Amino acid sequence: MMDITAHIDDIPFEIKEGETILDFIRRNRGRDLVPTLCQADNLINYGSCRICSVEVALSKNGPARVMASCHTPVSGGYYIYPSTERIRKLRKNIIELILSDYPDDKIHPQPGRLPTEFQKVIAAVGVPVVRYPENRKRSEAQPDRSHPYIWSDLSECIKCYRCVRACDELQSEHVLGISGRGFESRIIKGYDTDFISSGCVSCGACVQTCPTNAISDRFGTKTAVAEKIIRTTCTYCGVGCNLDVKVALGEVRGIEAPVDAAVNRGHTCLKGRFAFEFYKHPDRLTAPLIRRNGNFEKATWDEAYDHIAQKLNEIKDKHGPDSIAGISSARCTNEENYLMQKFIRVVIGTNNIDGCSRVCHAPTAMGMQWAYGTGAATNSIDDLYKTGCILLVGANPTAAHPVTGARIRALAQSGIPLIVIDPLKIELARFAKYHLQNRPGTNVAILNMFARFILEYGRTDFEFIANRTEGWEEFEKHLRSLDIDELETVCGVDREIVRAAAIEYSAAKAAMEFHGLGVTEHWQGTKAITLIANIAMMTGNIGKEGAGVNPLRGQNNVQGAADMGVQPHQGAGYLPVDDPVVNKLYSDYYGKSVPSGTGYRIPEMFRASEKGDLKAMWIIGEDLLQTDPNTCHVRNALENLEFLVVQELFMTDTARIADVVLPASSFLEKEGTFTNGERRIQKVNRVVDPLPGTKPDGQIITEIMNRMGFFQEEYHPASALREISGIVPFFKGVRWEELGSNGKQWPVNEDGSGTLILHTESFKRGKGKFHVWDFEETEELLSYSEKFPYILTTGRILEHYNSGSMTRRTPNSQLVKEDILFIHPVDAKRKGISDNDTVSLFSARGNTVMKARITDVVKPGVVYTTFHFPEASINYLTSGIADEFTLTPEYKVVAVDFEKSLFGRFSGPGCRND
Amino acid sequence: MSRNLRGLSERKGLKESLFEEIVRAGAGDGRAGIESADAIREKYLIGRSSVLGVSSFYDFLKKEHRGKKVFICDGTACLTSGGNIRLKQELLKIYGEDEIGTVTCLGHCHSNNAFMQGGRTLVWDGSPLPVPEPESAGKAAVKIRTGTNAGKPALLNPPGDLKEYYGILRTFCSDISGAIGQIERSGLRGRGGAGFSFSAKKQASRSALGTRKYIICNADEGDPGAFSDKWLLEERPHSVLFGMMAAGMVTGADTGILYIRGEYPEAVTAVKNAVRELVSEKITSRNLWKCDKEFTFHVVEGAGAYICGEETSLINSLEGLRPEVRTRPPYPATYGLFGLPTLLSNVETFANIRYILTEGGEAYAALGTEKSPGTKLVSLDGAFNSPGLFEVRMGTPLREVFEDLGGGTRYPVKAFQIGGPLGGIVPSEMVDRLTLDFESFSANGFLLGHAGVVSVPEEFSISELLWHLFEFTSRESCGKCFPCRLGAKRGEELLAGAIREGRKIDRELFNDLLDTMQLGSLCALGGGLPLPVRNAMKYFPDEMSQMFY
Repeated sequence: MMDITAHIDDIPFEIKEGETILDFIRRNRGRDLVPTLCQADNLINYGSCRICSVEVALSKNGPARVMASCHTPVSGGYYIYPSTERIRKLRKNIIELILSDYPDDKIHPQPGRLPTEFQKVIAAVGVPVVRYPENRKRSEAQPDRSHPYIWSDLSECIKCYRCVRACDELQSEHVLGISGRGFESRIIKGYDTDFISSGCVSCGACVQTCPTNAISDRFGTKTAVAEKIIRTTCTYCGVGCNLDVKVALGEVRGIEAPVDAAVNRGHTCLKGRFAFEFYKHPDRLTAPLIRRNGNFEKATWDEAYDHIAQKLNEIKDKHGPDSIAGISSARCTNEENYLMQKFIRVVIGTNNIDGCSRVCHAPTAMGMQWAYGTGAATNSIDDLYKTGCILLVGANPTAAHPVTGARIRALAQSGIPLIVIDPLKIELARFAKYHLQNRPGTNVAILNMFARFILEYGRTDFEFIANRTEGWEEFEKHLRSLDIDELETVCGVDREIVRAAAIEYSAAKAAMEFHGLGVTEHWQGTKAITLIANIAMMTGNIGKEGAGVNPLRGQNNVQGAADMGVQPHQGAGYLPVDDPVVNKLYSDYYGKSVPSGTGYRIPEMFRASEKGDLKAMWIIGEDLLQTDPNTCHVRNALENLEFLVVQELFMTDTARIADVVLPASSFLEKEGTFTNGERRIQKVNRVVDPLPGTKPDGQIITEIMNRMGFFQEEYHPASALREISGIVPFFKGVRWEELGSNGKQWPVNEDGSGTLILHTESFKRGKGKFHVWDFEETEELLSYSEKFPYILTTGRILEHYNSGSMTRRTPNSQLVKEDILFIHPVDAKRKGISDNDTVSLFSARGNTVMKARITDVVKPGVVYTTFHFPEASINYLTSGIADEFTLTPEYKVVAVDFEKSLFGRFSGPGCRND
Repeated sequence: MSRNLRGLSERKGLKESLFEEIVRAGAGDGRAGIESADAIREKYLIGRSSVLGVSSFYDFLKKEHRGKKVFICDGTACLTSGGNIRLKQELLKIYGEDEIGTVTCLGHCHSNNAFMQGGRTLVWDGSPLPVPEPESAGKAAVKIRTGTNAGKPALLNPPGDLKEYYGILRTFCSDISGAIGQIERSGLRGRGGAGFSFSAKKQASRSALGTRKYIICNADEGDPGAFSDKWLLEERPHSVLFGMMAAGMVTGADTGILYIRGEYPEAVTAVKNAVRELVSEKITSRNLWKCDKEFTFHVVEGAGAYICGEETSLINSLEGLRPEVRTRPPYPATYGLFGLPTLLSNVETFANIRYILTEGGEAYAALGTEKSPGTKLVSLDGAFNSPGLFEVRMGTPLREVFEDLGGGTRYPVKAFQIGGPLGGIVPSEMVDRLTLDFESFSANGFLLGHAGVVSVPEEFSISELLWHLFEFTSRESCGKCFPCRLGAKRGEELLAGAIREGRKIDRELFNDLLDTMQLGSLCALGGGLPLPVRNAMKYFPDEMSQMFY
């Protein structure tokens, strides 16, 4: 029998497999017994400071050895003595050595600040008198204030290298390093420069982990005195990082990433950690505005509600409920989205409700519903650590989903094969084993090729196909009939690379797929999704750990908005609104009859408005004029409305043309839940009170519902969730009080248990269904590529979030100030364009100007830019072509041409009509 | 330290070794410049800081190293014998003070007259050095004298016909368990200093799962005072290669790497030549035993860092990471080079294997004692009348080694530091109580280590020697663990203050410092230094007490 007992100060405890002595002590005796410095819970144990040393004997009071507890595995039969005289002396002597090389005035906490971790350890161990006569102070280290957020003062560095390890292990960035050797070794940034020039991506992992103020942030987050620390969920993307927000005197004092967060484990990105100051920006809207005689006038909430109720009732009476439409926001909570769709459906009486997933992941929802029965990620993000191969299609997670991106990069670096299918040489493509750099718009072609090569040369899981799926024969026949020569030409990717990648993916014991808007925002978006679903099924990569099809959700609550019924064809819980049984179910539940028949999708709303069929719209938290394609068309449509309500934080372009603007509260000022990309329903907690004059979106909707004569309980997430759990099947067991700090992944069963992996035994729809599609060229290129021979594709950057309305109002704008056009050197040479030249860019719809960067991130014939800044407004150029099943716009393929601009900044953006 | 960087380095493997690329970039003009750093960063996808971090670690790549025309050995034996001072005075006739650097140690402890120039080791034979032809200032070293008290030595004899020498592996290829049995019966213990059972290491590596495994010969154990590895590499390279091949055969590894100190340029050349000989003679694993994979050798030259003699530092160095000491477990046998199973052992250990396989494990064991089987190469420094390298049966009285083989010392010696800079300081009167084996040394509070013997002349100050040891440790500390990084520096400063300025040292502080380094250090560098210091304090209390309050 193995001895599974070890002793701490002669008290026996059971040991756990794989545990270190430190883990063992902390688990049984708490964290205070053994001090540590170089150890951090989210970093690999390093064993450098030796402060955690303990004495270990093999019998009670037997001869003991001193061992560093952080990296020594505990064994049965150990007698561990964590605080003997010898150990206490050793710790004090080590502290004395550290202090011999540390500023005297930083031993104790600064006035009005909390102690640093090191200062706490000094106090716990006992402040020694430094007896070494020649202690050398590193006063020569100059403070570094070059970066808008991250500051350093390396005279306080104790060389535990937690920052370097965080930069490596958490962010896989390798900006921070160590130079020199022995006593002379020290932290370096990049090639020994300052933070701003070092290539730092500002994630702040070093700030959080540094046990002193050697690396800190502008907010002094670590040592800031807080009245409370409130855990909430980040608003900036579908990763759904948990944030610990420090609050004092009603203001945010800083944000850290909780180490026990299941999603982000002590890590987050610069948006989540640092870009929070928008909430108190002077630009915030603080009073309802009503347009009177062409100008906005401040109004009270009552005036605004009355005005809205009166106008909406008028329009409804005159033109019917279907002349009104609502757009809800993926930045809002589940509860708010639920209420908004309920308001539109029940109070207004129309299914004209849609949300921003229309412009992003609607094809994912549709395609995966067709194939599997559920339009959501099949697996959890932690499955990354169980996978043997990662396939990334049309996504740039190091920019748009930074924590996931950093993890994928770390895995690729450490040897997990990564396959990237993307027209851009994205950051992760550098680390990929295979980069299939296809021409934008050819995903269906390359995925067909990929599947064919799996069938022909790779490992096809015929057992899974036979037991779990239907429609294989047709797909197989289709694959065998493909003309590889033609597909190779279409994609522009060497078939050998595709073949090798396909073999690699299929050979892995478990292979995990991720995709983003590079798949969905295409004319053949939904088709490409089903092909991805096919590929996962034919290799048996569904329903098991480390596998699956996993959309990277763009906004923080895209998943939740769709779950809550913010779609014209499905109500809360994805039930089809045109089904009479469902209709009755909803009507009974809401106590008022709901409309049947599918409503308008966003592009259809614009068309209806232009035709005069749609008279009024209510838009929450979305700047359609900046983010929807073909701005001139959108502007026409919105201006053609009789009545437009916009609920916003800031005066956006869209708000500017509204009839009523309602000032909403930000995520820091409200409560509710967000559902992240892995179906995890997480709490959003109120961190600060709503800015005076603003109201949480949920409260606004509830109040207007009541004002328009429908009783809706006062907004509170607990009651709203209770209502949701009564109608959304996969929310059945969700209770506000039970969500805890890490939330739950849906489906949540009645007993409150969540679900890590979908489709383990059978698919939601019974059998998984193979779909068969051929590649078809987009109408955009067929119509315009002669006149506009270049392909523009768009995306996002790390520093800004979508329209940038929030991030541009933070110091992030010091890091990146404008949208830039990426041009391949060959094209740049042909057009006589150099780096930083101003370029005029035009399509059939519009034109704009922006600065050029000459780079091989794009292939010849392709240009790329982002859409974060109104100065560039790239959506003046984007097209009306959309996915044929979901109407998700084709942002990723735009026929354009460009030239060096003669007029500089003054010639755009604007409309054209070619 | 980084699994991510390790993975990125592994992509290019040993053929396009990141380490060698950084050394090449840095060798020309000191540390890798930013342009070459960027080229390396692009090729290996690592950070700029990762390149600079590595290139700034090694002596040979340091800025201070540039501009020096000649490097004098300042190893312990050259220091205690005064050889380095005499040599410097001679070289100053030709070079300026700032053109003369130091290097530790060139393995000429038997002659105490070596320096390095233009990538070669040269010696000064006492006659005036020619001026001003720097390239030929010195002379190539003469052969080291050898001797033995073992009837049929295991290590000294030349290989003879190579086909026959390696051919015996053929007989074991069908009887691997027979080979394993011989090695087990030999009781062979690692000759790198720790004396860990070779058989246990081999077994751990053999049973580790892995499609690829490595055999690494640690030829970077630069203990001043010992020149046994240098001699084996230069004079008997085939015995080392044979041992590595045999280890590959029994563990299933197909790659052997010799990481050789940059301070032994002639050894690098000799080993490379020996590997070439194997290729030209078609002595390959495929021909010797029917393995599918060819056993290939890589010879890697170090870039000047003593810590790379520590096994995990050496592996990190080979990977192109900063050669910091890793925490253990995991041990190299399961998580070694590129995270793969690796059997890493010392030069002399590998060199013993052929004798064991041909003469049998029992015969080998019988050369030594029950717990310290076999023989040990002993390096005697220039203070002896017959300095040189001697293969000595374990258990031989130390006095016998010194007198019968070394012919006694030329001048009065008050102590011997045996086993490298971390080995004990043995006062002359203790020599009679010691026998040459692991047990006798450790029972008496010393360390056999590499069995290099450095004599401390009667007039040489013990505190001066300790200052040198602290200075050496401080200079060579990798800087990872706090006790060694800070402690060695503070100890060096305390001794410097006492010796140079006559300041007194707080005895309690000094003892605390020794305790902290001994108990707290991550590896044997910081952890081992207190042993000779405590020996000195114990056996030379009068001399030492002048330094303390």
